[in-house]
Amino acid sequence: MEVKAEEIVRAEGLCKSFPLSAKLRRIEHTSKTRQIAVDGLDFSAYRGEIYGLLGPNGAGKTTTLRMLSTLIRPDAGDAFVCGHSVVREPGRVRDKIGFMTGELKLESFFTPDYLFDFFGAMHGVEKAVLARRKRELFSRFGIDRFAGVKVKNLSTGMTQKVSLVVSIVHDPDVVIFDEPTNGLDVLTAKVVTDFLAELRAMGKSVILSTHIFSLVEKLCDRVGIIIDGRMIADAPLGEFTREKSLETAFFDLYHAVKGEEL
Amino acid sequence: MKLGALIRKEFFRFFHDPRLIVTMLLPGLLIFILYSVLGSIVSSDGEEDATYSFRAYLSGESQTVAAVEAAIAAGGSTVEWLPADDLEAAKREVKEGNVAALVVFSDGFDAAERPSVEIYYDLQNDESAAFAMLAGAVLQEIGARFTVERVSVRADAELGAQIMSQILPLLMAVLVFSACMSVTLEAVAGEKERGTLSTILVTSVRRSHIALAKVVALSCIASIGAASSFLGVALSMPRLMNVSMDVFGEYSAASYLLLFPLIVSTVPLIVSLISIVSAYSRSLKEASAYTSVLMIVVMVVSLVSGFISVGDWVTAIPLLNAVAVMQTILTGALPVWQALVSVGVNLLFTALAVWIISAMLSSERIMFGK
Ligand SMILES: Nc1ncnc2c1ncn2[C@@H]1O[C@H](COP(=O)(O)OP(=O)(O)O)[C@@H](O)[C@H]1O
Ligand SMILES: [Mg+2]
Repeated sequence: MEVKAEEIVRAEGLCKSFPLSAKLRRIEHTSKTRQIAVDGLDFSAYRGEIYGLLGPNGAGKTTTLRMLSTLIRPDAGDAFVCGHSVVREPGRVRDKIGFMTGELKLESFFTPDYLFDFFGAMHGVEKAVLARRKRELFSRFGIDRFAGVKVKNLSTGMTQKVSLVVSIVHDPDVVIFDEPTNGLDVLTAKVVTDFLAELRAMGKSVILSTHIFSLVEKLCDRVGIIIDGRMIADAPLGEFTREKSLETAFFDLYHAVKGEEL
Repeated sequence: MKLGALIRKEFFRFFHDPRLIVTMLLPGLLIFILYSVLGSIVSSDGEEDATYSFRAYLSGESQTVAAVEAAIAAGGSTVEWLPADDLEAAKREVKEGNVAALVVFSDGFDAAERPSVEIYYDLQNDESAAFAMLAGAVLQEIGARFTVERVSVRADAELGAQIMSQILPLLMAVLVFSACMSVTLEAVAGEKERGTLSTILVTSVRRSHIALAKVVALSCIASIGAASSFLGVALSMPRLMNVSMDVFGEYSAASYLLLFPLIVSTVPLIVSLISIVSAYSRSLKEASAYTSVLMIVVMVVSLVSGFISVGDWVTAIPLLNAVAVMQTILTGALPVWQALVSVGVNLLFTALAVWIISAMLSSERIMFGK
């Protein structure tokens, strides 16, 4: 039996629906005026672990992670990051988390050096602490040689490293990562997965979302399977893969919920 | 500290990119070149093909009058001479447009050794200008013996001020707007489209600080562009309008002291208006389209204010107040209170706009909606 570690993120009955514009209704061939994205989600993630939210497209993963990172507000329910409520203390939560997605971009005109300092200032990191962290992280991830090169002149892999490092400039306890390897070539994807493993080694907690089984199998300690905004199963990875592959386990659950339709 | 870092970032972005600096300063230079060229074309394009039935005052006698009549008749026009008893009254009538000109021959013109002839006319009146041009040319042709002088009945400065007060405010509105537009669209709509704004929204920095930093920094940058354009206009305007540079000397230091804050107060307001539009838009393209509409509105408003006479209530209307008060100042008046109230009103509306921007930055619908 695994030893339960300290709970670091807890979601309690998170709900979110979006108004559907006439345009979206047409695209999605529906007459509903609201789309339920997340429907009463509960789960817990533990310190020092990588938690994977696994689900198909449209399951509500992005919406969930955005609520955790306080970018959008839950309609109902709440989530706690290091004990701070995302609804009542969004500022405190933001200082505890690093949020990453492919959609968040760095201004490519600036150098890694400048961006690190700028985002350090945005998080209110002290100058001396910031300088020390920059030295450490830049050398750990091999950015130091490129610290003075504008991001637009860096390789894709190096750009990705810079984004990753900048997102943890304030030494957050929790890193939230939406679809970490989406749209990346194999080399850059490896940069990202290595980084996540490295974060765990540094004692950080990670929550990621993905629809890629192999990524979960490779990285995650704990998995939550989410379908249509609901948590279908939430357990350590080993419990899913004891008898069958994760993929088989997922589709068994999927068919149990949605029938045979695909 | 976070606010300072945000402002410095905008400045750093701008001042380390030669391309941006050039695009900001270029309009001023282009305006100067364009208008100066235009000015030299306009002033050489003086020939009048139209025919007139001139009425002109004549003072003194000369046989050369017949030559003038002949030249006018050759051009298809006619002239009726009126005796000028009171020269000052005659000049007034020229200025009022009742007669084309006043021609004054010096005493004993045909016999004197160094006689002179003066033609008083009004540059702003086409008929008067045509007469002066024609009569002056004829007299100059025959007379090596005498001097011909064309004298405008309007003081140069008076004429200049009138032109300035009509054109400058509109021009300023357009120039300030374009300067604000080029930086703001890029820095707000561009950042939203590229996803670099979201990266900042993920941090714990306050939304109001992001909004304020944008407006402060972009206003400073836009002011540089606006100042460059203004210089371009100011330096080329006299040449374009054929009035002397003295026009600028005619305005007192006090007028400039009033004009400056008035113009400057419109910059942050326009920047924040464009920021609102940019924050609302999903893409840079969409934002540019909306902003063009906004620009047309601003232009129409400034244009209209030149034609309607406005009361004090206009100072309560942001932007329009600046245009109207500027017009008043340029005609030589010193509307101190209206100017101060206008500046205050503009700043108040800017504060309101900044508040709206930060509310928009906090709105998940606007920032993260589909
Ligand atoms: N801003 C939005 N407006 C309208 N519908 C949305 C919005 N964001 C997400 N949705 C809808 O909510 C559902 C869940 O989306 P999302 O959380 O992005 O899923 P996932 O990340 O798992 O693919 C989808 O049906 C999606 O269309
Ligand atoms: Mg998603």
